[in-house]
Amino acid sequence: MTVAFSIALIIFSALMVLLVLLHKGKGGGLSDLFGGGMSSSLGGSSVVEKNLDRITIVVGSLWFVCIVVLGLLLKN
Amino acid sequence: MLTAFARAFRTPDLRKKLLFTLGIIVLFRIGSHIPVPGVSFQMVRKCVDAADQGGLFGLVNMFSGGALLQLTIFALGIMPYITASIILQLLTVVIPRLEALKKEGQAGTAKITQYTRYLTIALAILQSTALVATARSGALFSSAGGGECVPSQIVPDQSLFRIVVMVCVMTAGTSTIMWLGELVTDRGIGNGMSVLMFVSVAAGFPSALWNIKQTGTLGGGWVAFFTVIAVGLLMVGLVVFVEQAQRRIPVQYAKRMIGRRAYGGTSTYIPLKVNQAGIIPVIFASSLLYIPALIAQFSGSKSGWALWIRNNFVKGDHPIYMVTYFLLIVFFAFFYVAITFNPEEVADNMKKYGGFIPGIRAGRPTAEYLNYILTRITWPGSLYLGMIALVPMIALVLFDSTNSFPFGGTSILIIVGVGLETVKQIESQLQQRNYEGFLR
Repeated sequence: MTVAFSIALIIFSALMVLLVLLHKGKGGGLSDLFGGGMSSSLGGSSVVEKNLDRITIVVGSLWFVCIVVLGLLLKN
Repeated sequence: MLTAFARAFRTPDLRKKLLFTLGIIVLFRIGSHIPVPGVSFQMVRKCVDAADQGGLFGLVNMFSGGALLQLTIFALGIMPYITASIILQLLTVVIPRLEALKKEGQAGTAKITQYTRYLTIALAILQSTALVATARSGALFSSAGGGECVPSQIVPDQSLFRIVVMVCVMTAGTSTIMWLGELVTDRGIGNGMSVLMFVSVAAGFPSALWNIKQTGTLGGGWVAFFTVIAVGLLMVGLVVFVEQAQRRIPVQYAKRMIGRRAYGGTSTYIPLKVNQAGIIPVIFASSLLYIPALIAQFSGSKSGWALWIRNNFVKGDHPIYMVTYFLLIVFFAFFYVAITFNPEEVADNMKKYGGFIPGIRAGRPTAEYLNYILTRITWPGSLYLGMIALVPMIALVLFDSTNSFPFGGTSILIIVGVGLETVKQIESQLQQRNYEGFLR
């Protein structure tokens, strides 16, 4: 049981990293981090981005559930 | 002030943005409290209580809002992202290709951001491996050993598979934080990464303050408690004052006729902030000073140099440490200003659009003038940064307290810097609807 969840967790973690990297980076850079110009990006997100968001949310929640379940399993 | 807040909440799209940001912050804090599977949470609790916060991992722990020492899924916090941004920022000076990308404008910046993200993941893998390895060997709480805390029992099952799972979870956690921050930047208020950093730093305040009340002796600790709050408020005021201070160099634009339209003819100014570099020098200096102590700890040798480092560089209240820290901050302040503000470029741009500083010829004299002003104004700025960063250490020596001073210079600089920036952004949104803002 724990092994199955551990493997699932590894897979979900890898997926999560991949999905986040697939997103287009918003903002960023050091000067932006600590008070640089106010470069607010205009323009809505495309359909691809929207679907990517949805997939990321689903994978993220699965990843989260896996962590909680595995944590409880290992505690006992 | 409060009515402005009420107004901000009454504006539909601003309310949506604020609530979205709050939701992300809640998610972030929840994640910072869930332990990584495979870590014995009870043992971590006991060890964190026993450990003193001012040690080697103090600063990094502060940036993660106390999540690092608790080994939660967001243990690394935004530190990998900050480190990656710093590295790329420095590399743009060195590598010509990156410099070309930066000059390209928006498309180039987007590419650099993408590189930052890749580097963040790489650093996250590295740091989570290091963190899990130190936790596994018990070195993470080596100073807190004894009593109920058994450092080697933090990771009960020490098989390789379990360790790999832990590293994977922490890396994915870091990428999740990155995504949350970008969501805030995109749909919320302010710059997501700095908002999350703000939250992490602010999260440590209540417990640290309560700790001071508990350990204080005068009047049941209340005297120390209120003194610290008063000093903190005073420092916030001072920091706001200096952060807002700027020298305005007047620029006159010549009137030009292009076709039938007249352009220019306006007079504006170039704002040069006293503290142009922000808090980046402090972060640079503390990360650099953290390296020798780390090397000494990992080498574990008992030779002369390791002992010297352990005596002089690990604890913040040693004079050598303070002087080095101060000098490094001053140096990095000048260094960072030199990187980010290029007087020749500004002078060239002004010449191109027909602008000049009254009394100074366009071209090289302007660049020299700007450089002169910038150097002169950075002196008080850098000295101020160094002083502010040293306040907690001086307080440590004066009060001889064992726990760290919660309103440390770095945390106050972060809080004020991010707070001002975010409020300004809310204000600009409010002004779009003709409302009066927070700041006057």
